Amino acid sequence: MFKNLFLGNTNIDFYNKRNLLQKIFIVEIAIFLTVLICAAIGILNLNFSIDFTGGTTYQLTSEYSKSDIDEVLTNNILEVSRYQTYENSDTVLFRAVEGSQSQETEFLNYLANKFNVDSNEIEFQRVGPTFGQEITTKGIRALVIFLSFIVLLISIRFQFRFSIVALIALIHDLLICTTIYLLLNFEITPSTVIALLTILGYSLYDTVILFDKLRDSQRMNKESNLSIKTLNKTFNEILMRSINTSITSAVPIASILFLGNIIGLSGTLTDFALPLFIGIISGTYSSIFVTIPFLSRIINK
Amino acid sequence: MRRTFKFLFLPILAIGLFIYVYQSSLSPKLGLDLQGGISVILTADQDTDPEVLEKSVEIMRTRIEAFGDVQEPEISISGNNAVLVQLPGVTDQERAIEALGATGLLTFRPVLASSFDTGYSPAFEYLPNPDDPENPIKVSAPGVDEEIGITLDDNPNTESYLLSITSSYPVIYKLGPAVLTGNDIEDAIAAYPENEWIVSLEFKDSSAVKFTDLTKQLARESGDKRRLAIVLDGEIVSAPGIALDVNPDIGITGGTAAISMGNTDTGESANNLAVILRYGALPVSFERSSIQKVSASLGEDTLNLGLQAGLIGLIIISIIIILYYRFLGFISVFGLSMFGLLFYSVISVLGNLQGFTLTLAGIAGIIVSIGLAADSYIVTFEKLKDEIKVGRSFEFAANKAVDESWKTILTADFVSLSAAFLLYILAVGPIRGFALALGIATIFDLLFTRLYTRNVVPIVVSRIKNTRFLFPIKNKDITNV
Repeated sequence: MFKNLFLGNTNIDFYNKRNLLQKIFIVEIAIFLTVLICAAIGILNLNFSIDFTGGTTYQLTSEYSKSDIDEVLTNNILEVSRYQTYENSDTVLFRAVEGSQSQETEFLNYLANKFNVDSNEIEFQRVGPTFGQEITTKGIRALVIFLSFIVLLISIRFQFRFSIVALIALIHDLLICTTIYLLLNFEITPSTVIALLTILGYSLYDTVILFDKLRDSQRMNKESNLSIKTLNKTFNEILMRSINTSITSAVPIASILFLGNIIGLSGTLTDFALPLFIGIISGTYSSIFVTIPFLSRIINK
Repeated sequence: MRRTFKFLFLPILAIGLFIYVYQSSLSPKLGLDLQGGISVILTADQDTDPEVLEKSVEIMRTRIEAFGDVQEPEISISGNNAVLVQLPGVTDQERAIEALGATGLLTFRPVLASSFDTGYSPAFEYLPNPDDPENPIKVSAPGVDEEIGITLDDNPNTESYLLSITSSYPVIYKLGPAVLTGNDIEDAIAAYPENEWIVSLEFKDSSAVKFTDLTKQLARESGDKRRLAIVLDGEIVSAPGIALDVNPDIGITGGTAAISMGNTDTGESANNLAVILRYGALPVSFERSSIQKVSASLGEDTLNLGLQAGLIGLIIISIIIILYYRFLGFISVFGLSMFGLLFYSVISVLGNLQGFTLTLAGIAGIIVSIGLAADSYIVTFEKLKDEIKVGRSFEFAANKAVDESWKTILTADFVSLSAAFLLYILAVGPIRGFALALGIATIFDLLFTRLYTRNVVPIVVSRIKNTRFLFPIKNKDITNV
């Protein structure tokens, strides 16, 4: 089995599986849409960090008990909207509304007193409400320009129809991430956004390499259009590379997640690693299994 | 021979540069999130002139240099209307930021009336009410708030009602238009003459006459009208009366004045004010839209986590690649190590020449690029396998594989590079650091594929006779297809 996989002789009839894969894809999309609709009518909420909503956060590391936290939640200096604790670590994070500068300093000193830490050791972050909006609109604008550019690029290098397939695979990967974030209520930070952008890159990179391989096979078989034989042969051959590449890309990220969990350090780097990990797995999956039903349609025409 | 020279070029460059970096003990310049410190974004109005913004940054730079004990501050324009201030290392820097962002608009304004005697703001006037003598009719001056009677939008060129904050109980003064401003000041020094801190002001020669004239005029008045208010950013710092022995025909000469600062601290506020006054007011007022404070220990932990994770990842990848691709695996592990060495050296050099800082997002970009670089080798080796499979000789297969994979990698890296470029142009803040790291890494990947992989693989493969040294399969398996 391994020998065949390695040599690309697996002889899996991918074209024949197109209907099954299409059904899986439709089910996936149905799940994503359900989750998105739930989010739209307010059953599920995207948990945006203060970088988007504005507000203040205070993060400190000290031994704490449940009653300490309850006391902080009912303090009369600043309204604390939520708190977060981490497994394997004594770190606790409070998220509060914006206050006047003196209130914020007072709250900082209050926490320093309460948890017996130096006030310089408390991570403090404050974001104005307009700033968050600004980075969000800029991010969305960047995304739209980026996607249009990619469609253009793939259309020039390959065919317009291929760029649509690449786009579908891309949106599939983004939807998986969004759905997981919605369902598990993870916090969305700027790092998450960077990770999503990286996923875009990965997903495209994978798809472009696949298309390149398809075109090579077409040339080798002297075909002007994609045939069933070429499709099957190419996908069998590319399986090994896809698996290898996702392993090499996923291993460093998995080690961030793994180490981060052991050390008990939950920060920007782990915020980044989680969506990336999901994205790489899904990017590899989508470049093979999501593209097949759509590429099959190109053959039929 | 030419091939040998070509494939050795990048490793030699990498090692050479690394030795240079090591000997001049350069290391990557770390961002705030990795070494701790404060980062503040100060935002001005939406349609602020870029020149005004640049002038503000200049003034802020001179101010921060005057504060002295801040190491490597970074002040830069960010976006259309914001200034990014980064102060690494954590001492008492909140005060520095406070002084940095203060507009520092100083004016000297004659006092026209005060709430001393009446107990209410001079902006209010109570007229007798014929219908209800107990409740007189309240008339407020235009542009003041109804509750306290303070001018809402202070303009130094018109009369306004402002609150004095330094006296033991609050007093509201009615002030005339500004006669002198911060621009008339030549120098300002903090001093502690007796029992309290003062900021001693020295006027420019041309303005000293104006000050003398003003004091002459005030010395003729009595009561509140003898007072001269010193206003900083819309708040009255002090409103001393002109001493009774000042001759109205001579006034106060010598061109000096003093602002009393009390003795609530050990002179920090007096020093800060002196610095602000010495270097002038900012041409526009700023609001703090974002503050981020990272303690040094968290920064260090994160950096270590990133480094350890990267190292562990690299070791695991190396083992996997060597198991899969045998001797080719060693080629790629060596190439990846040189890639890492070159990257580290270039970042160190850039940090010292261009002020390029390595942030957390940058580290993330590097970790991602390790994956991309490893993939370039995998793509090449897989092509080689395909070529050998269809029965080509090792040498021919190797040459064809490196040529074809170069085209594939060029296409794929072009996508990555465009993504990095677009992100860098369009995005703000941490995303730019990520885009820059990804962009540099992609260019290196292209260089390594073109110069190193493309030349070393044919050289090595043409000397190998057995498939076992290249792939985990036997000769007969690969030729039996």
